[in-house]
Amino acid sequence: MGPAASLFSCSETSRPEVMKRIDPHLRRILRDFSRGYLQKRENALAGLDFERLRTELSEVKEEALSRCDELVALFEAKASQKGARVYRAADSAEANRRIYEILKSNRARFLVKGKSMVSEETGLNAFLEKRGIKVRETDLGEWIVQLAGDQPTHMVMPAIHLTRRDVARVFSRHLERDVPEEIPALVRLAREELRREIFQAGAGLIGANALVAENGSVLLVTNEGNGRMVSTLPPLLIVLTSIEKILPSTRDALLLLRVLPANATGQNITSYVSFIAPSPEKNLHIILLDNHRSEILKEPVFREILRCIKCSACLNVCPVYQTIGGKRYAHIYMGGIGTLFTAWIHGRAASRDLADYCLSCHRCEAVCAAKIRVPDLVIALRERLNRETGKRLWKRLAFDGVIGHPGVTRALFSSARSAGPLLAGKGEYARRLPPLLRKYDRFRALPRLARQSLLAQAGQKVTQKGDRKGPPRVVLFAGCLVEHFYPRIGLDALRVLERLGYKVALSDSACCGFPAANAGFREAAAKSFRRLAAGLENAEVVLTLCPTCTTMLAQLGPEILGTGPDRHLARRVVPFSRFLFEREWLRLEGLLSSRPPGQPVTYHDSCHHKYVLQASGASRDLLELALGGKLREMESPDSCCGFGGSFSISHPEVSASLIDAKLESIRRSGARVVAMDCPGCVMQIRGGSARRGEKLEVRHTAEILAACLDVKR
Amino acid sequence: MVTAHLEREFIAAARAAGAEVERFAGITPALDFGRSILRDLDVRDVTVSPDLSFPAARLKGWPILKPGPKKDYLKAGAGLVRADYGISKTGTLVHLDRSDEEKMVWTLPPVCLCLLEAGRIVPDLDVLADVLSRHLDLTDQESPQVSLVTGPSRTADIECELSLGVHGPGRLVVLLFGDEPS
Repeated sequence: MGPAASLFSCSETSRPEVMKRIDPHLRRILRDFSRGYLQKRENALAGLDFERLRTELSEVKEEALSRCDELVALFEAKASQKGARVYRAADSAEANRRIYEILKSNRARFLVKGKSMVSEETGLNAFLEKRGIKVRETDLGEWIVQLAGDQPTHMVMPAIHLTRRDVARVFSRHLERDVPEEIPALVRLAREELRREIFQAGAGLIGANALVAENGSVLLVTNEGNGRMVSTLPPLLIVLTSIEKILPSTRDALLLLRVLPANATGQNITSYVSFIAPSPEKNLHIILLDNHRSEILKEPVFREILRCIKCSACLNVCPVYQTIGGKRYAHIYMGGIGTLFTAWIHGRAASRDLADYCLSCHRCEAVCAAKIRVPDLVIALRERLNRETGKRLWKRLAFDGVIGHPGVTRALFSSARSAGPLLAGKGEYARRLPPLLRKYDRFRALPRLARQSLLAQAGQKVTQKGDRKGPPRVVLFAGCLVEHFYPRIGLDALRVLERLGYKVALSDSACCGFPAANAGFREAAAKSFRRLAAGLENAEVVLTLCPTCTTMLAQLGPEILGTGPDRHLARRVVPFSRFLFEREWLRLEGLLSSRPPGQPVTYHDSCHHKYVLQASGASRDLLELALGGKLREMESPDSCCGFGGSFSISHPEVSASLIDAKLESIRRSGARVVAMDCPGCVMQIRGGSARRGEKLEVRHTAEILAACLDVKR
Repeated sequence: MVTAHLEREFIAAARAAGAEVERFAGITPALDFGRSILRDLDVRDVTVSPDLSFPAARLKGWPILKPGPKKDYLKAGAGLVRADYGISKTGTLVHLDRSDEEKMVWTLPPVCLCLLEAGRIVPDLDVLADVLSRHLDLTDQESPQVSLVTGPSRTADIECELSLGVHGPGRLVVLLFGDEPS
C-alpha cells in the first residue's frame, strides 16, 4: 500500500513558500498547549525535588552511556537467553532490511505499530510499504497523521495541528462514509477500526522507553494502551529501539518513570507502563539500532545528547517551536535537541538550517529531564558546521570582518554617526529600510544611533568623579547596545551608583563577543572576549547592564578561551540590578521609602536574565521597592520577545510573531510601562510598540531606578 | 498492615487519574458490588483473569465468558482482574503478568473491574523494585511482564481534549477490600 495522498501537508512545489509563513492556527494551538502543559507539569512535580531527580537521572544515564557496550551486550545476552532474538543494526538500512526479513520469514504481510520515533528515523513505513507490507500506526495521533498523509507536529501529540473537523474529513475519506465532527465519536470510531486491524495483523512493532540490561526487559510507557495491544495480540512482536536507551537495572528504569511522565505530559504516571520480558513462548525480536550513536558517544562535547529521554519538555517551552511547530523545526527529530541528533543521524547538511533556529534562550535547559545543555551544544554545532560546511557570507562579513575588529567597528559607527541625519527617522528611530529589506523592520522600528556614544557622553564625567588616587570601586560594562543606541540607560545606571556613593569607571564597551560566539564564530568571539577580559583584569566588581554580555563574560567567554569556567571572573561580574539588590537594599529602602506608588508597571523577563543568571527575582523585588508597590504581572512574563540578536535577522517572521505575542501580553496587563533588564529586549519591545503606534514606555530597570531616586539628568 | 494514610492517598490518586474506587470490608461485598455494576450496564459476558485464585463458587451468578481464540475477548462487556499491589502516590495498580490472557482481560473489555487487597498498598514503586526485578527474571512463565495501570485508557490527541477508552477500558473500577486500616 502506498502512502496516502496528503490532505494537509504542502505539496513539494508550494513547500518553500508556505514554509516562510507562520500559521496563526498552529501558533495559537501550540501556545495554548504550552500554557496548559506548564501548569500540569508544575502540579505533577509538586512536592518533588525536580533538580535532585534530574541530577540523579542524568548521572544514571551518563553512567549507562559510559558502559554502553558492556550493558548492551548484557541486555543482548539476557534477552537471548530468555528466548528473544536480538539483532544489532549499524544503520537505518540494516534495521529496515532486518525487519522486512523477520516479517517475511514469519509470513506477516500486515504490521501494526505502537509509537516509535526510531522507526520514523529509519523511514521504516515507506521501506516496508514499497515491498508490499501493509503498515498501520495505532497511536491515535500517529494514525490520523498517517491517514492524512501528513507529518507529525509534536513528538507526544503528533496531530496537534489538526482540528476535529480535519480529523473527521480524514476518517470520512478513509472509511468512505460520513463521520460526525465530534471528538467522542471520532475516538470511538478509532477504537473500533484499530482493534479490527490489530486483530488482523500478523505482527506488532513497538519502540522502547528503556532497555533493562540486568533482565533483558523492555520498558514501554503509553497512555492509550495501544502499545499493550500491539505487543500482546499479534503472533509476532518486533521491538525497534536504539542503543542509548540502555539502563543497568529495573531500579534505574523506575527512576526514569518518576521523571518522564511528569516532564512529558504533566502526569504523575501514564495510564499504562509495561516491562516486557522475553520468554521462549513469545515470538519476540529486538533490533538495537546504532545509526551513528557510537560516533556521538566518542564526541566529548556532544555525547550528552544521548542522555535524552524524548520527553519533549524542551519543545513545549521553546518559543521558536511554539511559533512554527514540528513540521518546520525538524528533520525527523524536533527542536534544538532534534537539530543535534539530526547532525549525526541524518547528516550535517540536514541540520544546517535547523541550527539557525535556536534562540539560545535556555528555557529548554531549565526543564530538561537529563540536564542536557541544548543551547550551548547548538552553538558548538554551529561552530562545527562553519568549519565543515563553510560560513554564511553575511555572518562572515559581520563577525569575522567587523565585530572581531574593534577598529573597524569604531570606524563603522563613526561613519554611521556622520551620516546620522540621512539615516534618521522619527524621534529616536531610524529611517525605514528600503522595500527589499522591509521584512527586517516591518514588525519593529529600528533605533537610530545615539548622537554621542555613552563613553563620549559620560567618560569625562566619570573619570572626574571620586578619589582619583585609589582604584575605582566598580567598573560598569554597558555593552554595545547601550553604548551606541541607548546611552541613557548607561547614564542612569551611573547616576544611581553615584547617588549611592560609588566611584564608577566606565569600561571600554567593545563587543563582548557573544554575537560571534552564538553564531559559531569561535575565533572572532575569542578575540573580542580576550581583549575585553584583559581590560577587566584589575576590576574588583564589574557591573553589567545586559544579561547576554554577563553570560559571555562569566560563562561562555572563559569556556571559549579554553580556560574552563573562570570562577574568578564569574564572581566579579554581576548584573546591575542583582548588585543593588544584594548590596544596597537597605540604603535603597531608606532613600525610596517615602515614595508614593506610581502608575502600574509590568516586568518582562529577559531570557538570559531569568534562565541563565537567575536574576529576575532580584529585579522584581528591586523594582517593587522602587515603585512602592507590586508590579502588575502580565501573562507569561517570561515569553521571549523574539530579539535573539541575529535571530531577528535570520528569522524575521518568527521574531515578528513573538513580539506580537509579547505586546499583546503587555497590553492585557493594563500597564503602560514595561521594565526589563536587557537592552536587546528594549530594542525589540520599544521598536515593536512604536511600529504599532502604541504609547508604551519601555524601560530598563536602571532607568526606572534613576527616575524613582529623582536623580537629575 | 496498610496505614489509613496510604489508603487515603491511593484512593485520592486513583480517582484523580480517572479510576473509580470503592471500599469494602471483604471480598464478598466487593464482588457483589461488581456484579451490580454488570447488572446496571446490562453486561452479558465477563472475562475473568486466569490468575484469580478464589473458588469459582464466589462468582456464582456472574455471566462468565470462557474465551477460546483471542477474538472472543472482544465480545466481553467487562473484565474481572486482580492487582498484586497498589501504589499510593500515583493510584497505580501493579500486576505481575504471567500470560497474554491476563493482559487481554485487563485491556480489551470496555469496563475493567479490579480487585485489590487493601493490605497490598505500598507507598511507591521503589519499594517494589526487587519484586519487579525478580518477576522479570522468571523463566517458567508464558509471558512475564510487569504492568502498571493507572486510570482508564486515555488520549488527548484530538484538539488536546481528554477522551477515555481509546484503546483499553474507558472505565476502571477498583474494588478495594480487606480490614480497615490502622
